[in-house]
Amino acid sequence: MSGLHADSIRKQYGDRQVLNDIFLSCKTGEIVGLLGRNGSGKSSLFKIIFGTLSADNKFVSVDQRLMPSLFSGRDLIKYLPQDSFLPAHIKIKYLISCFCGKAARGLVMADPLIQPHLEKQAAQLSGGEKRLIEILLLVHSEAKYLLLDEPFNGLSPLQITAVKTIIQKHAAVKGFVITDHDYRNVLDIASRIVLMDQGNTRVIKDLRELIQFGYLPKSSLDLYAGGETNL
Amino acid sequence: MRIDSIFYLVPQSYTMRIARGLCLFYWKLVVASLLFSLFLAGLGSGSVPFFIGTGFAFIFLTPVFHYLSYEVNSPGEYYFYYNLGLSRLVLWVSTLIMSILVGLSIMFL
Repeated sequence: MSGLHADSIRKQYGDRQVLNDIFLSCKTGEIVGLLGRNGSGKSSLFKIIFGTLSADNKFVSVDQRLMPSLFSGRDLIKYLPQDSFLPAHIKIKYLISCFCGKAARGLVMADPLIQPHLEKQAAQLSGGEKRLIEILLLVHSEAKYLLLDEPFNGLSPLQITAVKTIIQKHAAVKGFVITDHDYRNVLDIASRIVLMDQGNTRVIKDLRELIQFGYLPKSSLDLYAGGETNL
Repeated sequence: MRIDSIFYLVPQSYTMRIARGLCLFYWKLVVASLLFSLFLAGLGSGSVPFFIGTGFAFIFLTPVFHYLSYEVNSPGEYYFYYNLGLSRLVLWVSTLIMSILVGLSIMFL
């Protein structure tokens, strides 16, 4: 059972069962698009898999290795939260050295998207620049599986294109699980779509199912010429 | 030379990267806590020996600055350290240990 497997994940907030025996898997080479309405539990699921949120029940493994805690998955799973996580007053070049090995560090520092910001502190960067750097740090880390929560949030169209290219390039050796309300960009790069609905996950085979389950409005079907995406 | 630039020169291994992460985490805490401790010790130097006062203040102020900096001001930054495998509990425990060790060292100067 290679790959990232999250199974039997249950989480309740008060009386509300947000995650109900959730199953999610991802293999290297895959980009899994996780869609769902606000409050459907996407971020909670990511945090539980990553190990920063406790669950009522969970089973997370990577390549048959159990991941009971944050520390056990430190070199295998990394997580991009919705809000910026870069320490505000540290230069970007020092942050890179925490995330990347020697070889990757050289690559990241030579990246034209990062190079102009190496001597800057995160506090001096715009929201989009910070997001871009965070994604590059995670992508160039040694982690095999990346959980990206709203990676396109705050990015300009050019930056979005760059991020999509980077993700697709690294998907050859890593597995990605991506969630974003900018569903068109998720659909563009995802090799598989999973919808979170009423505490459960549903594998989506056709765009029309997203309409059927009330995630997309009917008008969105025209944009994808009858539901044909790369699913 | 900044303290984090020293760790930039250290050989690359996962453990060293975690050590570098901890160094970045404590950099702003130690500076703020030490300056404030020196200030408080200076104010009370008539009644308490200077280094005893500084060390004592450091032990109590470092967790306070940890709380204000990371729990109140920028809780999102925790995710940087989570991604290095450092949990909130680990960071808090190491703050307490570091503040006691450094504080006692200052007291016995």
